[in-house]
Amino acid sequence: MSLKKYDGLQSEIYVPITPQPVWAPVTKELKDMKIGIATAAGVHLKSDKRFNLAGDTSYREIPWDTKTDDLMVSHGGYDNSDVNKDINCMFPIDRLRELADAGFIKGLAPTEYGFMGGGGDIEAFTDKTGPEIAQKLKAEDVDAVIMTAG
Amino acid sequence: MIVQRAIESVGIPTILIAALPPVVRQNGSPRATAPRVPMGANAGEPHNVEMQTGIVKDTLKQFEILDSPGKIVPLPYEYIAKV
Repeated sequence: MSLKKYDGLQSEIYVPITPQPVWAPVTKELKDMKIGIATAAGVHLKSDKRFNLAGDTSYREIPWDTKTDDLMVSHGGYDNSDVNKDINCMFPIDRLRELADAGFIKGLAPTEYGFMGGGGDIEAFTDKTGPEIAQKLKAEDVDAVIMTAG
Repeated sequence: MIVQRAIESVGIPTILIAALPPVVRQNGSPRATAPRVPMGANAGEPHNVEMQTGIVKDTLKQFEILDSPGKIVPLPYEYIAKV
């Protein structure tokens, strides 16, 4: 049986493409690792500039020893009520500090990162925001990063 | 997941605590865990230190367990937000 062939024919249905895998191997034990936090949940210092809820590709730096009372969220893409009660819901910095005190991890990265994820200017996140945060983490010799998003 | 992939691609291993595992899969997260939580409380119920510690610890442990990209590990914690 011969099949008819149409050059350039493609589905009208949008088919999302999963990006190529990325992988950085783990080379240390947890107890020897300095762990950073990066969250897409829009966490930042109360004293810092809020995110523009209509779309914002900038990020905020958060020192590792910041008191949770000094933190807040500005993010228009999810229900903030839980995180307003307890920032650890999306930014578990108290839990990580406890795990560091207990020796489960070596410590926290000196600087943690908050940004407003959930879409927006994908190009800016891919070409600027993501690489900038990555380079800063690398410059501070961070061993691994725990994230909240999605 | 864009930022996660950017960090991973400079050689720093990353893991994501996700409330929406299908979105995470679609966007190519290298490592993720998925407790049963609503979006906005990925690391657990507000003020529930035991649950949050469990989620964070079990997530970090995956650094020593996972050996290939794209895995999303379900975690046995459940929080249903009262809406």
